Amino acid sequence: MTAASASVAALQGALAAEHAAVYGYGVVGAMLTGTRQASAHTDWTAHQVARDTLVTMLTRLGATPVAASPAYELPFGVTNAKSAAKLAAALEDGVTRAYLGLVAVSNPALRTFAAQAMQTSANRALTWSGTTTAFPGMPT
Amino acid sequence: MLSRRQLLAASPTLPLFLTMSGCKGPAVLSAPPTVSTQTQTLLRAVTAELNLIWIYNKAMASYSGLAATLAPLRAEHEAHLTQLRNRVIEPPGKRVPDTVTAKPAVGATSGAALIQLRTAEQAAVTTMMSRLNGASPSLAQLYASIAASEATHVSVLSARIGAR
Repeated sequence: MTAASASVAALQGALAAEHAAVYGYGVVGAMLTGTRQASAHTDWTAHQVARDTLVTMLTRLGATPVAASPAYELPFGVTNAKSAAKLAAALEDGVTRAYLGLVAVSNPALRTFAAQAMQTSANRALTWSGTTTAFPGMPT
Repeated sequence: MLSRRQLLAASPTLPLFLTMSGCKGPAVLSAPPTVSTQTQTLLRAVTAELNLIWIYNKAMASYSGLAATLAPLRAEHEAHLTQLRNRVIEPPGKRVPDTVTAKPAVGATSGAALIQLRTAEQAAVTTMMSRLNGASPSLAQLYASIAASEATHVSVLSARIGAR
């Protein structure tokens, strides 16, 4: 795999994770009210912006951005505010893992971009879960 | 002082010995083992974690009321340190740093200590980001993950400072 194709593959992985997050936050927001719902809306918007940024980056590289799936299977049932917050944290963990893959590419600008995105998603996960982890994005 | 020519003339077997041994001379023999730039960066990261853990220890010893907040963060730094140390594979036999190199005075109040720790964490994130380029892919991922962890520490400390 060339450096360029590795970058495209990792960007596609990050885009797929952002698509999933955009979908998932729709479910999260539907189960929340008040300030928690407002937080979910803010994060939902942020993931839309990140998705669009990745689409632009891939297009500039001559690649066709992966499309969102028509539907996503949730990792667990979301029936109340507690499980909605748990889903939000899981979505952020998934995004962090995807950006960790992008850190492995050789392009310095992409590495930095991905590492900064990891910090953002790790902090969002903290907001939803209330706990920190030693190695965000890394396999456990 | 003997010149090189005089030395060679005085020791007719020396050139043969050097040729047979593949030796290129005293300068090469005395050169210290080289450490790659990547390893130097890794060793500095180890030392930085030791320094951070030291500040946490001092803050917790000085202000027991902060223990519930700081202990989990310190534990994560200890995990970072373990992983960073495990990545040191060269030079063979070289001892991985285990000495704290910076021992600042802890803040005069618990609030000042929290701010000091937050500043240290912010600086650690910036420094860790600067280590990304030039690192192997797997090491870059470890640095990025640790930077993300430290970024969450900044948030935890900010929340604690804001709640005071």
